[in-house]
Amino acid sequence: MLIEIIDVSISGLLNGSVYALMAIGLALVYGVTKAFNFAYGSFYNMGGYFAWVLLISLGMKGGYYTVFFTAVPFLFIVGFILEKALVSPLRKRADWEMKVMMLTLGLGLFLDIGYIVVFGPRLKSLPEIVEGTTSIGELVFLNQDIVIFIISITGLLCFAWILNNTRVGMAVQAVAQNPAGAQIVGIPKDFIFAATFAISTVMVGLGGILLCQKNFVIPQASWPIMIKAWVITAFGGMGSIRGSLYAAFIIGMLEAFVGYTLGLIYIDIAILTLLLITLALRPQGLMGKE
Amino acid sequence: MNLKSMVTFLAVTYGLIGIMPLFVGDSVIIMRILTMILIWSIVASCWDVIMGFAGIFSFGQVAFFVIGAYSSAILSVSLNVPPVVAMLMAGMITAMVGVLVGLPCIKLAGPYIALVTFAFHMALKPFFSGPLGKAIGSGGSRGILSVPPIKIFGMAFSSAELVPFFYLALFLTLICSGVIVAILKSYWGTAFLALKDSEDFAVSLGISAFKYKLMVFGITSFITGLFGALYVHYVGILSIRVLSGQVFTTLMIMIVVGGIGQYPGVVLGAVFTVTAEQLLRPLGIYRFVIMGGLVVAVVLLLPDGITGLIRKLFPGRQEKESRSIETHKSSLEGVG
Amino acid sequence: MLNVNNLNAFYGEFHVLKDVALSVEEGQVVVMLGPNGHGKSTLLKAICGLAGKVNGEVIYQGQNIKGMAAQKLVNMGITYIAENRELFPYMSVMDNLKLGAYSKNARAKEKENLEKVFSLFPRLVDRKKQVASTMSGGEARMLAIARGLMSNADFLCIDEPSLGLQPSLRLEVFKTIKEINRQGKTVLLVEQNIPQITELADKIYVLEEGQISFEGDKDEALSNDHLKEIFLGL
Repeated sequence: MLIEIIDVSISGLLNGSVYALMAIGLALVYGVTKAFNFAYGSFYNMGGYFAWVLLISLGMKGGYYTVFFTAVPFLFIVGFILEKALVSPLRKRADWEMKVMMLTLGLGLFLDIGYIVVFGPRLKSLPEIVEGTTSIGELVFLNQDIVIFIISITGLLCFAWILNNTRVGMAVQAVAQNPAGAQIVGIPKDFIFAATFAISTVMVGLGGILLCQKNFVIPQASWPIMIKAWVITAFGGMGSIRGSLYAAFIIGMLEAFVGYTLGLIYIDIAILTLLLITLALRPQGLMGKE
Repeated sequence: MNLKSMVTFLAVTYGLIGIMPLFVGDSVIIMRILTMILIWSIVASCWDVIMGFAGIFSFGQVAFFVIGAYSSAILSVSLNVPPVVAMLMAGMITAMVGVLVGLPCIKLAGPYIALVTFAFHMALKPFFSGPLGKAIGSGGSRGILSVPPIKIFGMAFSSAELVPFFYLALFLTLICSGVIVAILKSYWGTAFLALKDSEDFAVSLGISAFKYKLMVFGITSFITGLFGALYVHYVGILSIRVLSGQVFTTLMIMIVVGGIGQYPGVVLGAVFTVTAEQLLRPLGIYRFVIMGGLVVAVVLLLPDGITGLIRKLFPGRQEKESRSIETHKSSLEGVG
Repeated sequence: MLNVNNLNAFYGEFHVLKDVALSVEEGQVVVMLGPNGHGKSTLLKAICGLAGKVNGEVIYQGQNIKGMAAQKLVNMGITYIAENRELFPYMSVMDNLKLGAYSKNARAKEKENLEKVFSLFPRLVDRKKQVASTMSGGEARMLAIARGLMSNADFLCIDEPSLGLQPSLRLEVFKTIKEINRQGKTVLLVEQNIPQITELADKIYVLEEGQISFEGDKDEALSNDHLKEIFLGL
């Protein structure tokens, strides 16, 4: 019994680490640019398909090393261009928040169906990052899971380090806290907007590569992923990075335990219930500022 | 738009659609398109009232439509309720659900409303296809296959008889359009405009944002549910496929193309979108690449949709418009 | 150092600045007086590239800078110090100051300027780690000015530095501005109606309903009865 509880907790932690990577990207982009990105899940799949093209279609050498080293700049550039071309022009309009939601929703559909057009409707399977298992006492881990956990946590630490120790990171925080103040001290606001959008694209895309190699590349996965990332950020407090971190692990755990005790189909209902209760009690989310 | 031009616009548009069957009544495809234009134009109009006028970022419109459809289908199939009664009950059930969803939502900030309503939409799929849905007669993932036609005085209305059904739909469309115009042009509509402009200002006039928003949620949900029911008795089958992202986006294109908050522009949006969707149908699922791209393009290039484009081409109308909003505001200050 | 000619600004339909002209010489403190909502802030923001679209001419050291992006102007040595402070509320004093030196030219002199700022505002030294949002009004004002100085600017546009401060603190702020000026910075300052301000000014302008209604030095201002009564409160 104890072993099972530990097992379930560990899978909760695992889920949580990847969710954190994806949800924090979203919290960042919302906190800084106030843009509500409905195409977020489609960038998850972009990561998956990118890895598939590189590894299977082109048969590139170097395996996942090549994938990660090329995916980061690729996703960054895609995110940067999309922000500049699509979101930035809307920002001058009065009702731009609603317009951004609609535009990104359209973009999401465009990409999702676009993937089907290009890659076909069937699931794509990626090679595993590593094979085999490791056992510690009675506990057995998939090596793959260990790698996912390590990469997610490393990604998060890198992100935290960039945010707190580099000039660009400080500038991002400055724009989130006070855009007018940021402009006054000479921070190029529009560049920071595009850069954060790009960083969030990288984070969700990496999450996509990690989870797609474990499961499959599924063209329909975009929406549930988008919803999950949004639920986590809303639960944690929209725009609060620390809140999203806690929320990701709470939801990861909740998923693991609900899935284990009640069954998989109750996961979504449990998450939605948790979100509604939280928002009813704390409309600004777990750690959001009023 | 002032009351007179709004009514004229609706009368001309629906009038033109209404006489179409005299010429094309034999064409099954065109009759289907026309019927779907009527149904979607009302569903999209309700969404426009919520988003464009009441300023609520609700993404639950398709969900309400589907709840109306399932309610009526389950009532008439499992409980043998006569379809006309089932439709009205479906409207009421949807209104109740709308108010229940609205209650926690309306006080939230914009993106949260979008999220909660959209999550609600997403939760319907596992609900209707899961054991809970099966227990109330949703038919699981297979859906409901034999929804009975609407019967009024012994006459059956369904997709088997396209022209009569079309006129039934037109009748309901006109009534509901009347209700929508009444909402927009009544004291309520004025209140919405004020709320959208400045919630603080409106509240200072004694307008309760919460009460009005909840009311608009209730009424539009009723109409949306009613049309969901109309739809299900028309097509005769129902499954969770209506909840797909494609239906959602198609509906969104209607208000984006028509112009958000530019009622009755959304009716033109519906005409355009339903027709385009039919014409692109040979492309199969690929047409949604075009539809998605269309949303992006229209949002970027036409801020107020077709309505905005028409206004740009005929700038004289714009002045009238802004003046009518001004008089609205001043009449409101008088009330306050 | 700075010449503004025919500057016009609009806020929607509303004509905020009408053909405004002014000039500031190097090393001066120029004070712009005027009632609230008559365009003073807009003028400063227009000079600093923060006001959006404006018409006219803004010449800074021989170069027309109208329409340039704020980050460029900061790098050229023009800094805006906001009336509502515009600090980064959840960051420490130190981080706020460091971000003040964000522009390229400022970065090179960050250390030097930090020392200068701390000698000018010794109180900030003890509060390095305090979060900006927990500071009192007076301290926050000091921090805003200090952050402006960190940009290594030669030309400071200070928007109502006395706003919301009690009289004793106001005097302190003015004294500091005088000291900053003595150290070689040129200052264009906007105020509503403060008696002590004449002490500070080399030149005084009055901006009413978007137009310059008075221009002159300290003595001329003091001999103008209308001005004395309304804006200087003497």
